[in-house]
Amino acid sequence: MLLSDEMICMDLNADTKEDAIRQLAMMAAEAGKLTSMDEYIESVLAREKTYTTGVGNGIAIPHGRSKAVKETFIVFGKSRKGVEWEALDGKPVHLIFLLGVPEEAESEHLKVLSQISRRLMNENFVKRLKRAETKKEIIEAFKDFQQS
Amino acid sequence: MKIVAVTSCPTGIAHTYMAAEALEKAAKKMGHTIKVETQGSIGIENKISDKEASEADVVIFAADVAVKEESRFSGKPILKVEVQKAIKNAAEVIKEAEAIVEKSK
Repeated sequence: MLLSDEMICMDLNADTKEDAIRQLAMMAAEAGKLTSMDEYIESVLAREKTYTTGVGNGIAIPHGRSKAVKETFIVFGKSRKGVEWEALDGKPVHLIFLLGVPEEAESEHLKVLSQISRRLMNENFVKRLKRAETKKEIIEAFKDFQQS
Repeated sequence: MKIVAVTSCPTGIAHTYMAAEALEKAAKKMGHTIKVETQGSIGIENKISDKEASEADVVIFAADVAVKEESRFSGKPILKVEVQKAIKNAAEVIKEAEAIVEKSK
C-alpha cells in the first residue's frame, strides 16, 4: 500500500496551487521520500506548465519525476474550500494527489500509480473520497477499489 | 464499431491512464468495442496487434507525444485528440470517431 496515514492531509489549507503542492511536498520530505524538496517541486511545477493536472470533477493529480525523489510516493490532500487549479472544467479542486517518481522507478510502483489514475475516473471512488472525513476512510476507500 | 486507441502523455504517469479509462468507459457505454493501448512510463501495455489494428473501424490517438509504432495504423481513419480532451469529454471523442467512420463509408 503506497498511501499511509502520514501521507494524508484531511484539512489542507492552501490558497494557490503552488501553495498546495509545497505543503504536500513537505509531508513527503518529512517522511524521508525526497533528497531535495525544491528540486522536486520544480519538477512538479514544470509539469503543471505543460498543461494542468486539474482533470475536472474536483481532482488534481500533480506529479513529478525527478532524481530528487528517493522512492515512489503518493500524498493525498483534501481541501474543503477548494484550490484554484485551472482545471479542465474550470472548477476548484478539492482532492489532490501528489505523486513522486524517481528517475529509475520500479515498474511495480508505476503500475500502482497508473491504477490510481484509472480509479480517479470512477465516479463512485471519487464520491467516497469526497465524503470521507477521516484518514481511515480514505485508506479504506483505496483498499476497496484496489481490484476494480 | 470496433475502435482501437492509443493514449500517451509527456510524463506517462497519470493522464495516459486516465484517458485510457475514460475512453474505455465511454465507448462501452455507447455500444462499441474498444481496445486501448497505453504508452506510458511503464512502456507499452495492452498492445494492439497488427491484426487488431487492421480489423478496427477507426483509430483514436489521445496523445501529446508521438505515438510509437504508428505504422500499424496506416491506411486507417485516425482521429487525433489531445489527451486532456479524452479525460474531459471521452463521449465527445467517441462521437467524433463515429462521424469519421460514417464519412468514410
